[in-house]
Formats: sequence, structure tokens, C-alpha cells
Amino acid sequence: MTTNINTNHTKVENVAGNLKQIQYQNFPFHLVETSPWPILVSFSLLTLTLSAVMYMHGFANGGTLLIIGFFVTVLGMILWFRDVITEGTYQGHHTTQVQKGLEIGVLLFIISEIFAFLSVFWAFFHSSLSPAIEIGGVWPPQGITPLDPFAIPLLNTFLLLSSGAFVTYSHHALIEGNRKGAISGAITCVLLAMIFTGLQYYEYSEAGFTISDSVFGSAFYASTGLHGFHVIVGTIFLSVGLIRIISYHLTVNHHQGYEASIIYWHFVDVVWLFLFIAVYYWGGN
Amino acid sequence: SKYVLQTAGFDARFPNTNQTRHCFQNYTDYFKCVAAKGEEFAPCKQFKRAYHSLCPNEWVAKWDEQRENGTFPASLDP
Repeated sequence: MTTNINTNHTKVENVAGNLKQIQYQNFPFHLVETSPWPILVSFSLLTLTLSAVMYMHGFANGGTLLIIGFFVTVLGMILWFRDVITEGTYQGHHTTQVQKGLEIGVLLFIISEIFAFLSVFWAFFHSSLSPAIEIGGVWPPQGITPLDPFAIPLLNTFLLLSSGAFVTYSHHALIEGNRKGAISGAITCVLLAMIFTGLQYYEYSEAGFTISDSVFGSAFYASTGLHGFHVIVGTIFLSVGLIRIISYHLTVNHHQGYEASIIYWHFVDVVWLFLFIAVYYWGGN
Repeated sequence: SKYVLQTAGFDARFPNTNQTRHCFQNYTDYFKCVAAKGEEFAPCKQFKRAYHSLCPNEWVAKWDEQRENGTFPASLDP
């Protein structure tokens, strides 16, 4: 479907073959071209969610569909974000107003994620503030040995806090035009994030309780697991920023995607601080 | 001999309608008392009267079985 947008304020020319270029627009907004990625991702998300329920309740083919749903969602996201980068970095559609809209969109998304974490924290406090008699009326429940918060969790706290400091340094270096600093700061941040993930994986495998071990296990792994998933997503997000810095996509004044990844990373860090205080420290003794 | 019929009195630790914890606390307190002072120690009987008054018999039976199996969820150490 092609839309004729030839008006007084726009002039579309064939530059080379099928490559069309918008010559002039009297408004600062971005009218996106038709794309298959939104509808693809909406169906893949439907598959992902339904198949997750199927898998968890033992329905046939649930696992297979779950893997398909997950991979098609990731693929759709890659292709969609790739297009956004093309539209911004290569086609110049990201005017100041468009950037502002993207910034607000990122903040609203993070607010929605805050609510998601709020629900998991609610579940934790509901179960731990007035422990049921079925777990002995105490928290941690009878028979559960929680993890020592001042061992790996404390180290993880320092890892995330310093990764936040390094990415802030990288951001400032980028603004100053310090390419080496921007890259080294970003690399250090990603490395620290990966060490965090590795240590969490180790803790998960060595812990004396599983997700099935009473409501304690459920609350612990649901909260830290949701956080860990966000750490992985945030690490990928930061890595994309790093690659784009290296590839000369970002400029001193315009690096909306990188700033989004940094805000997201700080959000992940703050959630960890709440987790550390509530779940590991208060919930552990 | 005269039987005095009475229920467990008001306990300010459990002021609300849901008296589950009141029942559970007296059950665990009785067995902790017995573990510390022995079965013949008279004041322990107060906890026993309280939990028999407050708790549904099914719960008492279930917890007695859990104690025998070693799967009772609360600590009964004095």
C-alpha cells in the first residue's frame, strides 16, 4: 500500500531506483512507513504468553511453542529496533521533537516496569510480614536456610553500583567527544554486568532452596528472577549502545538510544537495591 | 467434682476475628512448655486448655501427626 504524500509541503523524488527521499516537510514529526514488525511481535507475544501457560500446566506442545514464541519475539524486536535505528541514524527522521517523544516513551515504559516489580514486591511482603502458620508462623520459614546477604549479594550490590558509575562516565565522555573514554566506560559497565549475572547464576545453583520450597522459594526466585531477566535485557541494551558508539552512529548531542539504555540500567540497579534490603537482608534473618 | 466450662480468654496479641494464630500459638506454646518443664508442670495445662478450646479438632489431629513424623512446621524447642 503506497500513500501519496505529495502536498505543498512535501516533495518525494526517486533518488536511485526505488530509493525515495522526502525532500521537505513542514512539521517536525515522523510519519513512519508501513511495517510488518508490530503485528508480527503482537502475534509472537500472544504465542509466548499462551504457550507459557500451556507449558506450565503440562499441555501438549507447550514447550515447543514457548521456544518458538520466544525466538520470534526476539527476532521481531531486533528487526523493529533495527528499523528505528535506520530511521533515526541513517534517514534523519529523529528531529528534536521526535527525540522528546522517544524519551517520554522510554520513561513511561520504565514506569510500567516499576509497577511490575511493585506487584512482585507486594507478593513478597504479603507472605513475609505475617507468615502463615503452615510455614511455622516465622520468616524465613522453618527449615529454610537463606543466603548470607553479606557474601555474594553484597558483592553484587557493589558490582551494579560501580557499573552505573562507569556508564555515567562513558556518557559524559561521549558528550565531551572523548571516544576512548566512552568506549572503555561502556565496556567496563557491560563486563561488570556480566560478572553480576554469572555470580547470580552461581548463587542460584548453590542455594539450599529451590523455587518449590514453600512461599519463600516462590517469592525469592520470582523477585530475583524477574530482576535477573531485566539485567540480561539491560546488558544487551547497553551492548547495542557500545556497538553503536564504536560504529560512529552516536554523536555528541544525539544519542537517544544510549541514554535510554542508561536510564534503564539505573532502574535495574535501583530495583536491586530494594531487593537487597528487603529480600536478602530483611527477609533473610 | 465440678467441671468449669470456659473458653480461652481474650489475648491482646490476637485482637481480630481471625483467631488462627491464637490457636497455633497456644498449640506450639504448650509443647514448648512441656519440653522445657515436663508434662507434670501444671501451668503448661493452661496452653493445652486454650488450644483445645480454640483449635478445630482436625487441625490438632493433623499437627499431632506432623509432630510424630517430624514435619511440624514450627520449632518446638523451648
